[in-house]
Amino acid sequence: MTETEATRILLVDDEATLREPLAAYLTRQGFVVREAASAAAARTALLEATPDLVLLDVMMPGEDGLSLCRHLVESKSVPTILLTAKGEPTDRIVGLEIGADDYVVKPFEPRELVARIRSVLRRAARPAPAPEDDALYEFEGWRLDPLKRRLTDPEGTTVPISTAEFRLLTAFLDRPRQVVDRDRLLDLVQGREAHLFDRAVDNQISRLRRKIEADSRNPHFIQTVRGGGYRFAADVRRVAAP
Amino acid sequence: MRFWPRSLLGQVLLSVAAALLVAQAISAHLLFRASEDRREQRMVGSLAVQLIAAANGSQDQRPGPRSGRRMRVEVSPVLRALPGDRTEPRLTVALAKVLREEGLAEAQEVRVISRPALGDPRILQRLANGRPVGQGAALTGARVMLASVPRPDGTWLTARALSPPRERAAMRGLLVQTAVLFAVLLLAMWLILRRITGPLAALTKRVETFARTQSTDGQLAPEGPEDVRRLIEAQGRMEARIAGMIDEKDVMLGAIGHDLKTPLAALRVRIESVEDDAERGRMAAGIEDITRTLDDILSLARVGRATEPPERTELAALAASVVEEFEDMGDPVELAEGPRVVARVHVTWAKRALRNLVSNAVRYGGDAAVEVLRDGSEAVLRVTDNGPGIPAEHLSDMTEPFTRGEASRNRETGGAGLGLTLARAIAEAHGGRLVLANRPEGGLSAELRFPA
Repeated sequence: MTETEATRILLVDDEATLREPLAAYLTRQGFVVREAASAAAARTALLEATPDLVLLDVMMPGEDGLSLCRHLVESKSVPTILLTAKGEPTDRIVGLEIGADDYVVKPFEPRELVARIRSVLRRAARPAPAPEDDALYEFEGWRLDPLKRRLTDPEGTTVPISTAEFRLLTAFLDRPRQVVDRDRLLDLVQGREAHLFDRAVDNQISRLRRKIEADSRNPHFIQTVRGGGYRFAADVRRVAAP
Repeated sequence: MRFWPRSLLGQVLLSVAAALLVAQAISAHLLFRASEDRREQRMVGSLAVQLIAAANGSQDQRPGPRSGRRMRVEVSPVLRALPGDRTEPRLTVALAKVLREEGLAEAQEVRVISRPALGDPRILQRLANGRPVGQGAALTGARVMLASVPRPDGTWLTARALSPPRERAAMRGLLVQTAVLFAVLLLAMWLILRRITGPLAALTKRVETFARTQSTDGQLAPEGPEDVRRLIEAQGRMEARIAGMIDEKDVMLGAIGHDLKTPLAALRVRIESVEDDAERGRMAAGIEDITRTLDDILSLARVGRATEPPERTELAALAASVVEEFEDMGDPVELAEGPRVVARVHVTWAKRALRNLVSNAVRYGGDAAVEVLRDGSEAVLRVTDNGPGIPAEHLSDMTEPFTRGEASRNRETGGAGLGLTLARAIAEAHGGRLVLANRPEGGLSAELRFPA
């Protein structure tokens, strides 16, 4: 994947030991990187030029990353990826709730970071998502919370699903009763697990069926369409998050 | 001790009630004895007066109003014994003593018997003549005392005295007094004890809550007597101190995590410039190993301090999610088809515990089979492998921190030995347990058991 025009990234981290080699690495990957050692420095840099993406460390002395992230979301629509040392799921939710586009836990694999940067940029290039983005999906009593990635059955019991299954299910829920072919699915759900999907969309489908279908051999929700595609055969509503 | 109450209030009230009952019983007995003594003395006095008067021959000189009421002393050859007669040795002794003191010569030979009042011929005769007997007391069931002394001429003088009715009113008074004492004392005790047991019960509840949440929210205000107040205050201070230490630990762990992970991240970025792919791969694996250990240590310290309540979760889907991760890595892990099993768990934690068990099974056993089932009141996530298992004597050590299968501490097999410790801590934080056992057919079986 190559960018037609060099992508400008603002890298905000107080730790020079990480910031400098990371900036060098991203530069080698073809990005134009500007560094900022604090939230204040980042604000100055933002006034001078608006980057295509901000990589933001959460824990910084002075104004922290979450606060700067809030500011970025409110004032400019710059995609933001948070870098953090914490890995608790609640921390991830807090970051995403504030409006960050993604969340990377230190220490990360540099290649994975680049993949995520590209994924966020790709999503940002699409038309703005519907404002009801954090509304719950509901189908036949099942509910999917897109922010917490939490699926519950009609009895309210949590049914754990993987990130890949979450993306796949969201792709279906956004297109109820439409036939979606494999290539389109692959395109829709490609994230950092892209390599998994390359291998087996069908495999992911069967895993998802095991979790939401009463009888996965005779599926009710995710039906196979002759000619290479799938259809989500239920009505989907969006309801406000509780 | 089925009736022994278990609460402080119950025990104190029951003890006081029992002590009071014993004390009242003793005093009732004493009162009864005193009243009996008085009755005896009155009868002895009455009999003595009659006998002495008769012996002195003065009976005939005492006419007047009394002769109408009092039965005359009988003079008879010998007193006929009737059925229902009973000798009264105590009265005999008492009367003999009185008569001796009065100087009656025949005092030593006095005999006292009692018989039913309505079995005495003289009384029946008086009743038949329409003359009063006693002081209008009911004769039914009453006994009459007959005291006889021999006369020099061989005949016997016999005096009669009706046994006066027992002092029932006094006994009834005692019963009422006992009841009132019981009521008043128990009420007072109850009121006082409530002031102790109330705050104690609240304190117990508070300690249980604190044990669960480790949060100082909802601390008790001191109440009750001084002793209990001081206990509550001391408990409050202890809570604050424990919560402070735990918060401190969390802050410290957060700082350690941050301070170690940032340089690790820097290192991870730097090794990307290493040309040799194999060398870079080894470095990355080393960093990953450190990171995993760090995560395990941090998780172990945080487990049980979850900020959100556990949620009802479908365990088969949870197991599937974990198994899929291993499948994606190409590890030989299988999930058996099973029933729907629901338990209240923290999804992230439960997945982590299961992941550790599966990862151990793959590492030491070469493969893993995962099964979800319900066993009585427990939801079970069972991981079995076909490896060598664990020597029986080491089974219980395996969940101690930093214990690994081989004694050599050979790092090549990876892991810091926190996997099982963490799995156990997670199971216990859910009120469940981790059960390790060697399977009879070979291999290890590790079970996470959650209350369902």
